[in-house]
Amino acid sequence: MERVGMNADPVQYTIDQLYKTHYGKIVSALCTLWQEIPLESVEDAVQDAFTTALTVWARPAINSDPLIAAGSGIPSNPPGWIYTVARNRLISLIRAEKRRWSSLDLHTETLSGPASSAGSATSDFPGFGPNTPDFSGSIFHDQQLKLLFACAHPDLSPKVQIVITLKYVSNLKIDAIARALGMTGDGVDKLLLRARKKIRDERLFLLDPGSPSGLGARLPTVHKIIYLTFNEGYKPSSGDAAINESLCEEALLLCKDLLDHRLGDNATMALYALMLFNAARFKGRTSPTGELLDLDEQDRSQWHRPMISLAGDFLRLSRPGPLTSYHYEAAIAWLHCSADSFANTNWRLISRLYLRLLRLNPNPFVELNYAIALYYAGDRNKSFQIMHQLIKHSFMNGYYLLNAALGKLYLLDGDIPNAKKYLERTLDQTEHPLETAFIRRLLSRLPPASDHRGAAN
Amino acid sequence: MEKFLLLIREDLQFRANMTPAEFQHNIVIMTKWVEDMARSGNFLNADPLTNSGTYVGHNAVLSDGPFIEAKESISGFILIQAESLEQATSFAQLCPLVLNGTAAVEVRPIMDMEQKPWKEWV
Repeated sequence: MERVGMNADPVQYTIDQLYKTHYGKIVSALCTLWQEIPLESVEDAVQDAFTTALTVWARPAINSDPLIAAGSGIPSNPPGWIYTVARNRLISLIRAEKRRWSSLDLHTETLSGPASSAGSATSDFPGFGPNTPDFSGSIFHDQQLKLLFACAHPDLSPKVQIVITLKYVSNLKIDAIARALGMTGDGVDKLLLRARKKIRDERLFLLDPGSPSGLGARLPTVHKIIYLTFNEGYKPSSGDAAINESLCEEALLLCKDLLDHRLGDNATMALYALMLFNAARFKGRTSPTGELLDLDEQDRSQWHRPMISLAGDFLRLSRPGPLTSYHYEAAIAWLHCSADSFANTNWRLISRLYLRLLRLNPNPFVELNYAIALYYAGDRNKSFQIMHQLIKHSFMNGYYLLNAALGKLYLLDGDIPNAKKYLERTLDQTEHPLETAFIRRLLSRLPPASDHRGAAN
Repeated sequence: MEKFLLLIREDLQFRANMTPAEFQHNIVIMTKWVEDMARSGNFLNADPLTNSGTYVGHNAVLSDGPFIEAKESISGFILIQAESLEQATSFAQLCPLVLNGTAAVEVRPIMDMEQKPWKEWV
């Protein structure tokens, strides 16, 4: 979300807000109008229209401009203005390339009159003036969801699905996407370049995802996009706190939209519950001075109780139907949220839920969580046994969270030499300053060198 | 979902000359990539390979292998499951070594021996 102070430029503010709510909608509306135009050109035109708005709206009102309300530089229907200006730019583009675009002759012949200025646009183009899409009504919610399902294309990897969802459904700018996902702007650009080709070649935004049954087939992918977007925002190791929080908000909004439009199923409710349980604890994860806090160090009074209770309601509602990984993860989060202290947490039950999750989605990263839960549930030997198996695995060997967990659990176990060994190993396994600071804090708790040499003997 | 083997191909001479810090950085970024694939339920297995090995030629002549001289030798593998070759390719395009231009990835579908199309012909 854009944060704007009270004395910010109102035109800039309106345009930022408009971009946030309408960018993808206007792009997809124009794509539907002219299916032959490359997506890049449509995006350029919309981008240009936003830039034009910045200068035009800042000027005092010109009475002859029918789209701009008298007495104000900002038009009465800002999205309609942007749409019209972008559309006119595309019309000029089509004119300019008319000869090469022979297939477009039918369209271009009906286009006449000056097309470059916003003011004269409405009546010249039959079918476009009075029928300019209504940028105020509820149909947009549906269109936004339609776009979301379009982004859930099975040929794209989840990362690409997330990037185009953030770009066209959540309307984030490229640098915001890059910061949120820990990528470079260049990396996002490259990825979008390939995705746009796919979007154009397969008319991704134009085809209706179809009947409710067609939607259903993509629902698990949509869930995954929402889940991974939330996780990207939730993990402390990427981006800055404000960007991360807004990513979590986006995921929650998309999920709520699915539920409100009755497009979801019981997995949607479990996913929504899971995200609420975690969002409720967002603020508790850092100290007032900005340090990263482990679960056992968090001030539980910081957790948002009303959100936790709402999450509980959704988890209860999600029960009929097949159990998904979201159900298990939400149940684990619920057990954490309902425990009054770290020590009074039902670790036995949590470890059993992780085992279920592991059977559903066998991978070393879930196995690590299972091992940690086992330690706190009192099954110390099995916990270390699993972690030592994991660390033999090439990719896990250099994995920050595994080495940090081993270090911390050895510290709790009183095995100082091993604690030191694993904690020190993590220092070049993360490139995030908050995580490094966290490890240094754990290392500072170790007794001084002379002591633990004695302990090791 | 179908299974795919992603073969990482890179210049082993270049890899052998990396400083420990550069090598460590590569491990951090590759682990992140693998973790993302695990989170989305696509990761199955992966391992890097050492730079040396042996090579058994067609005439059973043993050599140390032409690995290090080759511009693009296999330096590791990742086994994933994906919806389609397209999606598997989309994963490969996000390999951090591909993004920084130091490696190529070969995407090969695992042959499904259970799939016998003629069953549907009759």
